Amino acid sequence: MREVAIIGVGSTIFGKFPEKAIFELGAEATQAALKDAGISPKDIQFAYYANLYGGMVEGQAALRDAGITDVEITNVENACTGGATAVRRAWYDIASGLYDIGIATGAESMTTSLIAGKLIPPAKGDLSGELGMNTMAKFALSQRRYMDTSGVTLEQIAMVSVKNHHNGCTNPYSQYKKEFSVEDIINSRLICDPITQLQSCSTTDGAAAVILTSLNVARRYTRKPVIIAASVIRGGDYAFRQKDITFSDVTYKGAKDAYTMAGIGPEDINLCELHDAFAVNELQHYVELGFCERGEEVALLMDGITNIKGRLPVNPSGGLLSKGHPLSATGVAQIDEIVWQLRGQAGNNQVPDAKVGLAHTLGGEVADLEAGAVGVHILKV
Amino acid sequence: MTKVPFQKGLFEETNGEPALIGSKCGSCGQVLFPAKSVCLNCMSTNVESIKLSRDGKLYTFTTVYMASEHFLPPYTVGWIELPEDIRIFSQIRGWQEHPLKIGMYMRLYIETLWQDEDNEVIGYVFKHVIGEA
Repeated sequence: MREVAIIGVGSTIFGKFPEKAIFELGAEATQAALKDAGISPKDIQFAYYANLYGGMVEGQAALRDAGITDVEITNVENACTGGATAVRRAWYDIASGLYDIGIATGAESMTTSLIAGKLIPPAKGDLSGELGMNTMAKFALSQRRYMDTSGVTLEQIAMVSVKNHHNGCTNPYSQYKKEFSVEDIINSRLICDPITQLQSCSTTDGAAAVILTSLNVARRYTRKPVIIAASVIRGGDYAFRQKDITFSDVTYKGAKDAYTMAGIGPEDINLCELHDAFAVNELQHYVELGFCERGEEVALLMDGITNIKGRLPVNPSGGLLSKGHPLSATGVAQIDEIVWQLRGQAGNNQVPDAKVGLAHTLGGEVADLEAGAVGVHILKV
Repeated sequence: MTKVPFQKGLFEETNGEPALIGSKCGSCGQVLFPAKSVCLNCMSTNVESIKLSRDGKLYTFTTVYMASEHFLPPYTVGWIELPEDIRIFSQIRGWQEHPLKIGMYMRLYIETLWQDEDNEVIGYVFKHVIGEA
């Protein structure tokens, strides 16, 4: 396998843009990535395009308006892990030697989707879905059990949201850009008890793109290529094998695969963008990603270790909670953020001296499986 | 109105005694719900259909304050742990009368889940067993 690098990243601002078609968002992010890389659309040899709630050949429509036609284009769906899956496939096509230069774009318009204003259900006919399951209930069930068995309090969980909303205030791409207190978060509208509105990501539209090349080709375009040290996608196992619903086995296994692939350990990670769709997820993922032992996750947060200026900043972008969560765009947007951080281009949200970053997404609700899929990428300079 | 199950083959009621229908693997012992003809744990076809225990314990629960496809808010769902070492996702009824607590005893009932144009759609729900912890 050849080493693969990222030479360009681009994103739309995340927010509510019901007047924009999904392909307009996708084209905007793609154009921004092309500009960032300083590359012509004619040099792009292939593309993967992630989208869940749109129509047919969304990728071709978006890429058409960015000047990319007449090449191999594959549309990808993997719920919240769709964007990471597009990057993984593009990584493989270059690592294997099939192509030298490609793009992965993820785009979603949640405000115009068929589930706008609703909780996100599984696919039609799903057993759990028929009985009232949705993605927020799934994690509310986990949070209730977590609080009961670990003694972690609602106030401590709300602190994740306080931190990430603080970070989002100074990220120009973020949806909210507003500080919230623990009281604001706990007293916001109750949706799936004990999860309130501000412990949850919002309804968001947006798109993000990355341009990947072989490392040799990357040196023609940039002096500071960001190398993909690990790229992992893994589907969830049977739910009957999950001992404890407060611990995501698929995240643990995906992270282990990624550390093995990169030849490093969790102690080598300088910053992390992880899947904080709900505040509780961030605390649980600290453990599953190997950042601390079980029972130490609250200390990691409360001691400021995961703040932007801490030893291991987590979600310096504001995360899904503040920046927003356009499902298929999220996995790509996390990689954009890490690239900006590793290049020293993250502005007010810059993490000092970052050399290695990890991106994690977890997505999809389906009966009888722990989850749909996890995506873990490790980037380095 | 005709009573129809929300999905086929999940439960039965004999002499007023309801039960979920699972499967048990004769090779590795894995119990599954819904029942499968092949064991998903070891892929053995040495699988028999079994009735699962009616009573279990509440593993976790949440009350949902937004509508789903079939349920108006608020409604409560949870995971029930059965003695067969299996967790069942279910609607929980009676939660307004008896505050829920993890670990409390729950019992299976067959009730109307929702109504569509011509049918009363029935399925399984769990309720707290009054008088037990």
